[in-house]
Amino acid sequence: MVLENQYPPYLEWLFSAGVSPGAFWIWLITMTGVILGGLLIAWVFSSIRYGPMKAGDLIFRTLVGLVGDLTHTSPRRVFALARLAVQESIRRRVLAAFIVFIVILLFAGWFLNPGTTDPAELYLSFVLTATTYLILFMALVLSSFSLPSDIQNKTIYTIVTKPVRPTEVVLGRAVGFSAVGTGLLALMGLFSYFFVVRTLDHTHELTADDLAPRAAGPGGVARPGLEGDTGFTRNHRHHIVLDENGHGYTEPSQDHFHEVTATTRDGQTEYRIGPALNQLKARVPLYGKLSFLDRGGRTTDKGINVGNEWGYRSYIEGGSQAAAIWRFSGLSAAEFPEGINLDMTLRVFRTFKGDVEKGISGSITLRNPQNPKVSYLLRNFVCKEFSIDRQNIPLKFKDKDKEVDLFRDVVSDDGQLDVIIGCLERAQFFGMARPDLYLFKREGTPWVNFVKGYVAIWLQMVLITTFGVMWSTFLNGPIAMLATVGTMVGGYFVGFLESLATNQAFGGGPLEATYRIVTQSNLMSELEKNVTTITAIWADKLLRIPLWIMAKLLPDLSSLSDVDYVADGYNIPLDVLSIHATMSLGFLVPVLILGFLFFKMREVAR
Amino acid sequence: MASQAVLDPAASAAAQPQTDVIIETRNLSKVYRDFWGRQKVRALKALDLEVRRGEIFGLLGPNGSGKTTTIKLLLGLLFPTSGQALVFGKDASDVTKNERIGYLPEESYLYRFLNAEETLDFYGRLFDMPASVRRQRIADLIHLVKLDWAKRRQLKEYSKGMTRRIGLAQALINDPELIVLDEPTTGLDPIGCREMKDLIIDLREKGKTVLMCSHLLADVQDVCDRIAILHQGELKELGRVDSLLKIRDVTEIRASGLSDAAKEEIKAVIARHSGNLVSMDNPTSTLEELFLSIVQDSEARPGRRARVEG
Repeated sequence: MVLENQYPPYLEWLFSAGVSPGAFWIWLITMTGVILGGLLIAWVFSSIRYGPMKAGDLIFRTLVGLVGDLTHTSPRRVFALARLAVQESIRRRVLAAFIVFIVILLFAGWFLNPGTTDPAELYLSFVLTATTYLILFMALVLSSFSLPSDIQNKTIYTIVTKPVRPTEVVLGRAVGFSAVGTGLLALMGLFSYFFVVRTLDHTHELTADDLAPRAAGPGGVARPGLEGDTGFTRNHRHHIVLDENGHGYTEPSQDHFHEVTATTRDGQTEYRIGPALNQLKARVPLYGKLSFLDRGGRTTDKGINVGNEWGYRSYIEGGSQAAAIWRFSGLSAAEFPEGINLDMTLRVFRTFKGDVEKGISGSITLRNPQNPKVSYLLRNFVCKEFSIDRQNIPLKFKDKDKEVDLFRDVVSDDGQLDVIIGCLERAQFFGMARPDLYLFKREGTPWVNFVKGYVAIWLQMVLITTFGVMWSTFLNGPIAMLATVGTMVGGYFVGFLESLATNQAFGGGPLEATYRIVTQSNLMSELEKNVTTITAIWADKLLRIPLWIMAKLLPDLSSLSDVDYVADGYNIPLDVLSIHATMSLGFLVPVLILGFLFFKMREVAR
Repeated sequence: MASQAVLDPAASAAAQPQTDVIIETRNLSKVYRDFWGRQKVRALKALDLEVRRGEIFGLLGPNGSGKTTTIKLLLGLLFPTSGQALVFGKDASDVTKNERIGYLPEESYLYRFLNAEETLDFYGRLFDMPASVRRQRIADLIHLVKLDWAKRRQLKEYSKGMTRRIGLAQALINDPELIVLDEPTTGLDPIGCREMKDLIIDLREKGKTVLMCSHLLADVQDVCDRIAILHQGELKELGRVDSLLKIRDVTEIRASGLSDAAKEEIKAVIARHSGNLVSMDNPTSTLEELFLSIVQDSEARPGRRARVEG
């Protein structure tokens, strides 16, 4: 699974993440800057109209009023307004979104191919993505149009002439629409889960004719039982080995297996293949820290870039001392009583084609970090690209006839272990990122992981709802919707905005890129120096300031999505979910306060 | 705290001044501006006004005279450009004043997907009313506005008159001290109008203060104690209705029991005859006549200051 954002444990992330000061302090500094900047801008604009003294007085009174509003917000009034928002949503046929979702699921049954190599990933990513888009669209429409429509048809008059504070109006809308979204999300989640489970469920045919006595083992030793292949269903079949009672499990195919049972009636043996097992997964991995050795055996942070624009993976050169070293911590014999399973998904970069049918060989070496001079070759392997290669590290194994005890010899006293991957073939490369190799701790509960995935969607929905309500406090419906769409688009491309703001993007800033498009010059070529290009480059330098501000102020919505975890069958760590929830809260609070302020300063009868 | 307040009424009075002035505007002005801040309309010009406890006060004026702007400023729906609007001694932007106010807008801007009970329940919740009080109040008000038979119907199925009545009920949900009514009889049939006027007078009998604006001069004349006439954002006339309608330079004598001869002579020397003098007073105009004359005068001589009377 690709994990571009790697989070430290929650508390470390919140208060101190290595050299950076921690998310909470960054948030506090940003908030202070935004508040002071906002006050200054408000004072300048108010001064133009009212003069500096009155402007200061107005701002002071607004702030005092805001504090009063915040401290006197009544839960009963918020609940009443939230309830009204729910009733309004139902009146506006919000349940149509659910019907659309059901229709999408029905069509998905036609168009999605359950015969792919990993149908669970396909179906899960489909339902989660469809849910995300639908629920965000619904949140967008409901939240952007409600308040402007109340102002336009003047129903707001009967609300603000009651002892209702701006905080309650804004909070009531945000809570109400979030409640509607929560209800819909719960329904969609329930239907999605059953859709995925029911669609993935299948069985195979197996008759006595498909089975034959097992071939003799090494040395001609006879082996009891039968083996054969199941019938072909959904683009795959399983090889099976049954014991003498006709019982056994199929070998995995398409990332699942089946249980096989046999019953004999009237001398006829019937084989029954059970439902697909282990199709939905929630692997709990233990990630290590990745470092590299270069071709001369010196330690480096990164391997070689083989020319990919996407610098996620680093590569090591085969037939040299280059290696990738993962250091794992917190291992104990109690946690891994049957040895350690090591999952890896390495990439291969070939500088010559060679025998394409044959994979590239590599080696797995283990090392005790306390005694780095001694290492133990676990085994050599042939790299399986694009699928998870599970290698078992037994509690005891042999290296050059020497018996090695995993926890006594290899794992250090403080529970650390180094796993070293090398590429054995000269001029071929292995590519890897930190999450590409991990120790498999245990299997989590898939449905719990599914719920966690929906919690991540819920966080995005609440954020979009709150942004929509905030924009609608001072913009009319369509404009508020555009502003919310802008927030969403910006939020999903925060990384790109940041790369533009820090001049990391290929092809320069917006104006330089436009120039390149118009003149059909590629991203890397040097631009000729003329008035247009110089002006564009300078204008881009100026534009970096607002782009930087936008990148810092918009929520990184793409990082909030945990669809990949669920679809790829990885447990969403609680740390990650907590970080996402805290990040969302970090945006919700200032956005709501902005909404309160805008609504407070608005003349609703204009 | 409650017992302390009872023991020390002076302290309680100091904490919440029991002024007789419920609404006060001081030099209240409103200028509407466009997006760029340029002046579009000067809707209200330096309005000074007082509404006292227990009176029915009418705001009159032709379209665009500033009466709705005045009401919106008093309710905090608009912010004054200059001057001050005080309600119960508090600034109009202070939402706590709304706890003692009931407002019936010009058209009953209510949520049409709610029924009458849900509507009143919703507005009751906005006053933080406990459920039991709310239930009782809803039942009483629905009965008061005679909508028992339609209380479960969505408001979108209501006629205009019914909507006005449920609008009035929502304005009274908090048993307010001040009721602001914008065109209260609009959309009501003659019986409904009569009932609305009776209700307004009844509210005054209960010690409530009513501020209303209306185009229907007969309604204002029927119920208002005092009126203010606005024209082009300026206050043109303010005073008691009976006083304003009095024609001072004319004497009206009404008599009965006179002989035909006496009737002949009465034009010359009425006081020396032995007739039974029933009344001798100034005749009154109608409010409509007064209103039209003020508007005509104002248009002829813009900027004339109001004749203020108590």
